[in-house]
Amino acid sequence: MSTTSTLNAARPADRGPPAWTHWLDLGDRALAVVLLAPAAILLALIIVYPVLRLGYTSFFSLSLTSGLPAEFVGFENYSLMLEDPVFWETTWNTVLITLITVPGALLVGLALALLANLPFGVQWPVRLSLLIPWALPLSFAGLIFAWFFHSEYGVVNDVLMRLGFEGIIWFNSPNWAFAAICLTIIWKTSSFMALIILAGLQTIPRSLYEAADVDGAGRIRQFFEITLPLLKPSIVVALIFRTITALQTFDIPYMMTGGGPGTSTATLAMYIHQNTVSFLDLGYGSALAVVMFALSMCVTAVYLRAIRTKE
Amino acid sequence: MNTRTLAGALATATMLAFAAPAFADTDLKIFVSSQHQPDVWRKVLDKYEAENPGVKVAIETGGNTSEAQAQYLNTVMSAKDTNLDVLMLDVIRPAQYAAAGWTSAFEGKDMSVYLPAYVEANTVDGKVVALPAFADAMFLYYRKDLLDKYGITPPKTWEELAAAAKTVAEGEKNPDLQGLSFQGKAIEGAVCTFLLPYWSQGKNLVENGKLTFDHDAAVTALSLWKGFVDEGTAKKNIAEVATDDTRKEFQAGSALFAVNWSYAWTHFQGAESAVKDNVGVARLPALGSGEQASCLGGWEWGVSAYSTHQDEAKKLVEYLSSEDVSIFMAANGSLLPTYAAAYKNDEVLKAVPWFADALQVVETAKARPVTPRYNEVSEVIRTTVNAVLAGVTTPEDGASQIEARLKRILR
Repeated sequence: MSTTSTLNAARPADRGPPAWTHWLDLGDRALAVVLLAPAAILLALIIVYPVLRLGYTSFFSLSLTSGLPAEFVGFENYSLMLEDPVFWETTWNTVLITLITVPGALLVGLALALLANLPFGVQWPVRLSLLIPWALPLSFAGLIFAWFFHSEYGVVNDVLMRLGFEGIIWFNSPNWAFAAICLTIIWKTSSFMALIILAGLQTIPRSLYEAADVDGAGRIRQFFEITLPLLKPSIVVALIFRTITALQTFDIPYMMTGGGPGTSTATLAMYIHQNTVSFLDLGYGSALAVVMFALSMCVTAVYLRAIRTKE
Repeated sequence: MNTRTLAGALATATMLAFAAPAFADTDLKIFVSSQHQPDVWRKVLDKYEAENPGVKVAIETGGNTSEAQAQYLNTVMSAKDTNLDVLMLDVIRPAQYAAAGWTSAFEGKDMSVYLPAYVEANTVDGKVVALPAFADAMFLYYRKDLLDKYGITPPKTWEELAAAAKTVAEGEKNPDLQGLSFQGKAIEGAVCTFLLPYWSQGKNLVENGKLTFDHDAAVTALSLWKGFVDEGTAKKNIAEVATDDTRKEFQAGSALFAVNWSYAWTHFQGAESAVKDNVGVARLPALGSGEQASCLGGWEWGVSAYSTHQDEAKKLVEYLSSEDVSIFMAANGSLLPTYAAAYKNDEVLKAVPWFADALQVVETAKARPVTPRYNEVSEVIRTTVNAVLAGVTTPEDGASQIEARLKRILR
């Protein structure tokens, strides 16, 4: 109501209303629709349409290298997937990376945020060093860490050898390669967690701690009774974002190991990329992408449900 | 119709106003792989522009490996982009491009002038889909000084190579000197790594489009490389080594033998090379009493099916694929010619004397399987080689995996 009346008031009194303004005389409902339409159309074009199109393509046998036209095959791409050992391996790798790096990044991020929240005299160097890993493009981080973990020229092995250990050929063993990738992802993503948690920390009123001091609660008690409960909303938000990007992990393993040795560190996103961009098998690639989309939606639904029950 | 006439008039007026004589200007864009001397190709193109007024050719490069370039071109071509007119393609790709309908055929082109291997690589279903740019093959590079010191002749078999490496290693006592460097990383070069000893046993992977996989020969081939790692002829982290790593290691003087393409020679003889004038080139060894097999390389010129300058692009490709250009690129860019006679050309031999012996290698080199689904074939082989060398898979399991997966691709 208020919107329409303001608009009416703004109308010049002497002349009649210009013809184009008649559509402004809409009810609130209609106006809402009109105002939301541009955003809705844009989202439909750039998100809804591609997702639907992806689902549609996944029911076709469409490979640019076959020289054959697209052919409707129903669920054949999906049944192929079930028998495809590389699909299962890459999916398992993706789940494992998520299970390791999300909690890892949360713990490191929480520690970094608490550290950055300490009353330092000069705050900016701490904040800046938190921002840098987050601002660095993923593929750069992957390249840099690929060199760090290089068996001959890498700084990690150099340090290990100086400490009296034997150097590790990181990318020669699935487990070490996996460890190197997870460490890199945790390094890269914990600063994002830290930034969100830091924002949450700063909303906690100091008076709560002062009151706790008066009541004789120790530092650790304060952390578990005040800090952590009040940080929960920030942590959940950070977890949602981090989990979804973890399920889509591509750049860092792509740059560090290319999925090797063999396919032991390849992720689902890498397998989708390989099937579409390299093998040009758009039908199968789309079916894989639909699975990844479904996986992301499930995780989001679980988190959203978790938040709702909290409220 | 009216607007079109108007637009035409406007365009003509603009051309007359700004570029007086240059009507009918043709701008061609050509994709050259960055590792194959784009600056020397530029000289060739400058000459072409001088001889063909009104034609301007711009070079585009991108990606530093065959796979990276293929990914880029796959994206461009599947988007039906008209931006690129001429594409330089790895010898393994014309079949895929032809199947996808991405290149235009050269009707009635006489291919008999080229080396037979390149006639085959560029002809798909009786149609000429691309013309050869330059030839290539894998060679065995060795340290002439070290072999001479121990009175060893260049090995003819892989067994001799392992023995030679052992003798030199025991004599030199240099922990930084490895016996043999080859490609163990999951890259295109690793496909050849697998095929060299496989072919040497007289086996083929594909015959007449049908998979002719020999499981035992594959186990022997994979075991050979794994044996080199286990015995210490090759270093433990060979699964990390890509083509250019092999080149760098040999160039730095830290390898006795190296398996590599012809491009490495120029680097080995370059100013910053630690092994300048101490490098020998030979045919790759055989497995036991088998034949000496090499992997055929080389790159081709294709005309994009989406180019809006079909005739001009084809004319340019005919020129780039001519014998004169082949000789020029051999003498100035050390790229192996695709014409047999060019290997005896004085100008070429003065610049790269070892090309005299290279013709035999190129002529006997074997081609990787010609199939539109080559990328998948390649991926299966290279990741398995990588897994075997890293010790994740045994040669037996590796051979079974290759067989099972190839059967699905080439069914």
